Amino acid sequence: MTRAKGSHERAIRIALLNHKGGVGKTTLTVNLAFALAQLDKTILLVDSDPQCNLTSYLVQGDVVDKWLDESEDPQGNTIWSGLRPVVHLNNEVKTLIPFERADRVFLIPGDIRLSEYELDLQQAWLDCLQRRVKGFKITSALSEIVDSSTESVGADFVFYDIGPNIGPLNRAILLDCDFFIVPAACDYFSIRALKTLGQSISNWLKDWRIISQLAPSGAPLLRGHPVFLGYVLQRFRMYGGELASQHKEYAKSLERSVFSEIIAVLREIDESLAPGSISHFKLGQIKDFTSLATAAQKEGVSFGDATAGTPYLRDEAREAFIDFAQKILQRVTEI
Amino acid sequence: MQPLAALSRDELAHIDSLIEHFSQNTPLLDRLRKQLLNAVLDADFFAPHVHSVRSRLKAPDHLKDKLARKMIESRGKETQFSLTVDNLFHKLNDLVGLRILHLHAQQIEPINQGLMDLFSEFKYKRVEGPIARTWDDETRDYFKTLGVRTIKSPSLYTSVHYVIQASDKPRCTAEIQVRTLAEELWGEVDHSINYPHKSESLACREQIKALARATSSCSRLVDSIYRSYNDYTSTYKPRASSRKVVKKTR
Repeated sequence: MTRAKGSHERAIRIALLNHKGGVGKTTLTVNLAFALAQLDKTILLVDSDPQCNLTSYLVQGDVVDKWLDESEDPQGNTIWSGLRPVVHLNNEVKTLIPFERADRVFLIPGDIRLSEYELDLQQAWLDCLQRRVKGFKITSALSEIVDSSTESVGADFVFYDIGPNIGPLNRAILLDCDFFIVPAACDYFSIRALKTLGQSISNWLKDWRIISQLAPSGAPLLRGHPVFLGYVLQRFRMYGGELASQHKEYAKSLERSVFSEIIAVLREIDESLAPGSISHFKLGQIKDFTSLATAAQKEGVSFGDATAGTPYLRDEAREAFIDFAQKILQRVTEI
Repeated sequence: MQPLAALSRDELAHIDSLIEHFSQNTPLLDRLRKQLLNAVLDADFFAPHVHSVRSRLKAPDHLKDKLARKMIESRGKETQFSLTVDNLFHKLNDLVGLRILHLHAQQIEPINQGLMDLFSEFKYKRVEGPIARTWDDETRDYFKTLGVRTIKSPSLYTSVHYVIQASDKPRCTAEIQVRTLAEELWGEVDHSINYPHKSESLACREQIKALARATSSCSRLVDSIYRSYNDYTSTYKPRASSRKVVKKTR
């Protein structure tokens, strides 16, 4: 359901979306969450990738294994534990207790069986197109779990960490989001990916608009209005305080593609889906912190808290993500 | 004279804006058409009683013509032309149309019940109907026993119709017609000769009126055959399944 229950205002839901793998979605999500927590925001992370990378990033391997083993038991508490009653038992979603990973950072653990939900979502979409209430119930099940979890932890922001594909699960997530961010790496494939990404989003939004206009009264509906917040350039190399020249070229061509393949395509549907001038969409540049990344992932912490690299590099990373988080806060407030 | 030629520039601009709005929303209205069509085709209940189902979305050219005629008719009358982009999809009920065809009159009863169930399952709001248009006394009496309201049909057009509302924002409606195959034959001939403009040929008009009587008799004869058959099977072959009464032909 799109309406938040009780008096709590609906938390702002954001997905980092790019079906091109390896652009650093999970790493970016974790660092952004920790940076926003430092800025006194409460964050709910939702691991919505069947690969469970986010959960494995933040939680020790043996604990994750135990959670996955227990997910269909009464005490189960992964994302699948919440969804299964709707998908398999034609029941209501189960309320989950988000795992408190750090001050103001909460996690809904992922589950490999999320791929089963994805299969059901494909049929559910057809049911929605056919105006069957069951389709709407399944399509909005994940959103409903997030509703109750954000309320229980008092979250200001929800971040969905999604898998690198254009599938029914990511479609349902995007349609539930208030905003989405496109992370892109400095390479040819990242730029190529924008075209299919923009087209897919455009088709999803158009279909959903019709589906929701013709939905039977009382059917739970996803919000269906994900505003493009902007893009973030990742993993580029610096050379003497400037972008390395080859990456500079990519950065330029990425900017052009973001405009033509995403912003323009969205505005054709509705101007308010991509507000602002081109400079507003440049959310930041996160340089290649490879030396910190390995340790940070192993230790389950942000780059700034990893026991690797020099203190200078860690400060630089911390600062970069705080800047990024502030930019996001500012843009969200403006919109 | 073609109705469009008789319109002023402002009137034409108004009609163009309505047509533009209609075209922009074609995917929405066509989705509504598919939803209704699939719901009827998928409902097992209908299968033994329904011969075939047709559906259509009004063609923009026909709509334009219809709007022009309405505009001309409304001139000088108290009820002015009131269609706007905000009410087009519910004030004109036949932009999306579904037609359910069956063999004989008695099948109306289960089809009517099936439609009522379908409207409630899919939460379609029934805003009109069932209303039976008929010009034949015997048929009128039959509909009355089913509790279906009847209205006269000077044009000899015969069918049972319903209007449902599928959505609130925007408000979209669709029309469902139920008629026998014989009535469909008359309807199709009449439509192609007299629509959108009534034929000026007296011979054609006369023959179409006579055809209405022939097809009505045909419907009545089919009805009689099935009554006889059912009577025969229930009297002489009590174990025969009543399900065999009508073969599924779609």
